[in-house]
Amino acid sequence: MAPALLVLLGVLAYPIADALILSFSDVRFAAGGIQRDLIGTANYERLLADPTFALALRNSLYFTLVEVVAVTLLGLAVALLLNTPSGRKAIFPVILLIPWALAPVANAVLWKWIYNANHGILNAIGLQLGLIDQKVVWLGDPWMALNMILIADAWKAIPFISLLLLAGLQNIPSHLYRAARVDGASAWGRFRHVTLPGLRVPLLVAIVLQSIWALKVFDLIYVLTKGGPRDGSVVLNFLAWRVTFNFLDVGYGAAIANVLFVLMFVLAIGYVRVLDPERQRRRRAALPAADPAEVTA
Amino acid sequence: MGRWTTRFGLAVFVVLALGPIAWGVVTSLMPTKALTRSPPDLALSNLTLSNYVEVLTTRGNLVDALIDSAIVATLTASMSLALGSAAAYALARLRVPGANRILLAVLAIQMFPGIVIAIPLFLVYSQLRIVDTYPALAITYLSFTLPVVIWILKGFFEAIPPQLERAAAVDGASAFQTFRMVILPISLPALFAAGIFAFIEAWNEFFFAIILTRVQIKTVPMAIAEFSGQYQTLYGQMLAAAVLASIPVVVLAIVFRRFILQGFVEGAVKG
Amino acid sequence: MTDRRIVMPQWTRRTFLQRSALTATGLAAAANLPAWHRALGQDATTLNVLVPAAPDPTPPGVPDATYSQATNDAFAAWQTTNAAKVVYEAPPWPQLHDKMAANFASGTYTHDVVYMSGWVPEFSQFLTPFVDQLPADLMADLPAASFSTLTWDGKRLGVVFSLSLLTTFWNKAMFEAEGIAAPPKDWVELRGMAEQMTKDGKYGWVLNYGAPEGIGGVASYWMSFLQQAGGTMYGADGMPAFNSPEGVDALQLMIDLMPFTDPGSISYVGINDATNVFAAGNAAMMLNWPFMWVPANDPATSAISGQVGAALNPAGPAGTASIDGTDAYTIPLDSPDPELALKLIEFYLDPAVQKSQSMDTGWLPIRLSVLNDPEVQQKSANAATVLEQAQHPYDSFVTPDYNEVTQALGTEIQKALAGEQDAALTLRKASDLVTEIVKRRA
Repeated sequence: MAPALLVLLGVLAYPIADALILSFSDVRFAAGGIQRDLIGTANYERLLADPTFALALRNSLYFTLVEVVAVTLLGLAVALLLNTPSGRKAIFPVILLIPWALAPVANAVLWKWIYNANHGILNAIGLQLGLIDQKVVWLGDPWMALNMILIADAWKAIPFISLLLLAGLQNIPSHLYRAARVDGASAWGRFRHVTLPGLRVPLLVAIVLQSIWALKVFDLIYVLTKGGPRDGSVVLNFLAWRVTFNFLDVGYGAAIANVLFVLMFVLAIGYVRVLDPERQRRRRAALPAADPAEVTA
Repeated sequence: MGRWTTRFGLAVFVVLALGPIAWGVVTSLMPTKALTRSPPDLALSNLTLSNYVEVLTTRGNLVDALIDSAIVATLTASMSLALGSAAAYALARLRVPGANRILLAVLAIQMFPGIVIAIPLFLVYSQLRIVDTYPALAITYLSFTLPVVIWILKGFFEAIPPQLERAAAVDGASAFQTFRMVILPISLPALFAAGIFAFIEAWNEFFFAIILTRVQIKTVPMAIAEFSGQYQTLYGQMLAAAVLASIPVVVLAIVFRRFILQGFVEGAVKG
Repeated sequence: MTDRRIVMPQWTRRTFLQRSALTATGLAAAANLPAWHRALGQDATTLNVLVPAAPDPTPPGVPDATYSQATNDAFAAWQTTNAAKVVYEAPPWPQLHDKMAANFASGTYTHDVVYMSGWVPEFSQFLTPFVDQLPADLMADLPAASFSTLTWDGKRLGVVFSLSLLTTFWNKAMFEAEGIAAPPKDWVELRGMAEQMTKDGKYGWVLNYGAPEGIGGVASYWMSFLQQAGGTMYGADGMPAFNSPEGVDALQLMIDLMPFTDPGSISYVGINDATNVFAAGNAAMMLNWPFMWVPANDPATSAISGQVGAALNPAGPAGTASIDGTDAYTIPLDSPDPELALKLIEFYLDPAVQKSQSMDTGWLPIRLSVLNDPEVQQKSANAATVLEQAQHPYDSFVTPDYNEVTQALGTEIQKALAGEQDAALTLRKASDLVTEIVKRRA
């Protein structure tokens, strides 16, 4: 185990610690490399007053919340579909693997083409079906652009979550369903009292993982909108990149990244809590799920 | 749920899942000029492999990129498995103090947005003179593949009945020998799943590939992005490159699907 | 589970670790083989050059560049004569700035010649002021104004190698159909003609307003209108001076054109998207770079080849004006052989190479003698227009904060173009933001 930790520490811990120090510094590019002067919390104070940061934070939170809800619900729907007799064919999980395996850049390029105002298929289909009467500039309005990016990311994210939840569904012992049916539970009742509790762990895992990934979105924004239009699709991750590489304001960029890191860290704690084996064993022991009386309650 | 509702739902699912990809493939088989006409000229007579030919021979040199990506991804996957399996086993079995805290730290570290550690990382690599080398990229990728590999394998190892290891101990094997001779051979599904995950993540990575390479290495995501220059976006060729770039990983995912899906079951659900 | 017998293996943890260490060392050694090979027994000096990938402006020898065989041979001959080996790193243009930033930040030598486009003031402390060492006859053949974007702190740090100014492209067929003989001479005609030609799904104007920052972003477009109105970006004290009647007029012109502008314009991030609309015959006029003359006239990609005209930008109250694409070569300070790097740049600026650059790749030369060459003018029908445009102001107002300034200014302009705020308020807000940025740098 030691080598693994050493690698991780070397590759990550040092730059992270460095980034932390950078966020408390004023960094300038000077002859011979970078010049840093510690300036205390000035970068963070600037963060609090910066309207672009506030916008990026709002966009990130909106994006994450909506994507997690959408992906979880749709992922669950797909998993349920695939768990039915018609859905059990081997071809369906294979179909899911294809969007999942695509490179994010390839995905971004594909959707950029689909959303193209002049030649994109989305406009063509919309016009054909009469849903729109003229070509829509999908990436031209800030609100719409953010949501179109969301759709593109969700499309790619749903397969993983579906597979996760499908595995969870298949792990629920069928005798629980039988018991519920024997006790006269309706389909909805079975769903509420057998399926959902049985999916508790995978659902929580899905939610936390998807939150973290949603916060990390970058390739899509880089290829599709570069943060535009009018900063409408700027999220924290992208803002950190722009500030660091476009403006060369490395200290400020590090501060933004640290804020993002804290957000993700909180999520990661939640994630580990969910997976904590001790807690899980205790919870399983306490669950009276096998008790038919509980199911019909 | 009625059978026909289910069938309808499945049909919608297939269309939505594969539609965009099908369109991308169709586009890659059309010349860019036909595509930029309004409306796009989708006549079947326009189908051509010219985009693929161009992408593989003249522009972009996708063949080199495919080779480079293959090397980096394989290196990353093997290093991840070598280091990650040992770490996962230790976390699962050998009562390591603060195991959960270590797991938390490992996961937390993975969450850090890569974009900002790029400059400190680049500085370190410059000084070590390993910029633009395969190992540099692979080590960087380890930072996000190792946690996933450890997570998948840890769950799997925990589910192995302890009797096996007790039997090995009775025969006088050390912990490490047990690991190598008993645990690893029966962990093949999980190892494959973890290895494929690591391979795919390394194959698809974009940002660090740009920053940490110079002349000698060009990975496939970089090659795809090259079709969107300042003065030209060759959609047909860009999508052809994207299709070619995706075929290896998609094929891998499909061929090893049983392992991958089992990996989901073992690692994810049982925690 | 079947019982497994354990055979005592030779592999203990110690040997495993040893072997891993050996493997790691081997990997590191293998990784550095190219470097060792270069170091051992090579007489030629290696020159590392960072340039964009074709079809962005490239020197000869870059993969996929369309230079003639004669030029490529001349390049090979130059390398032999000067005992040099030129190694190109040619990433796509959008990745250049990131790479450069990382390279300069590392403080280690990476390149001998670096292409720049509006980043010279930003990286000025890393560059060599070599311009004074260029031969006098070369300097006499270069437009003096081309150095304005490459000068910082009184030092000239780069040399432009291609005259790349925004001019107006117009669709002759669409104009003829409306009975208009000539392209607009001034703002009034521009507005009128754009309106006249906006009908039946076609528009009078198209441009990429989707990217706020950089040269070629919406802020830079506005700067050309600003100069046509007689305004300027900064005062003598370096503080913003664009919140002026001239600035407002310039922005108002862009706003007035919006009803006649292709609606996708606010989402087009690259010039290529706008050019595609123009080349498909769906827009009558646009601002464009000289290089785009080639694809706009190429029958393989354009529906209007042969019908494209190049014209001076319509004059505002202060006459016509433009901005400089400022494609230039620079030499970083830590280059081990700056004299050889300088020689390479001189080669790139050699009249024959410059002529080849224009005739073969479509990037106009910077040498006035080559620009006036009748063959060049015949091949690139827009060369004469660009040359004439160069007689008028074409400042790009590049400063070290150029990216941040144009990001802030451009975003505000985008809001104005979307109808969210009026011109006066936009420039007021922009001026405040830019003042803050400039003060932070001071």
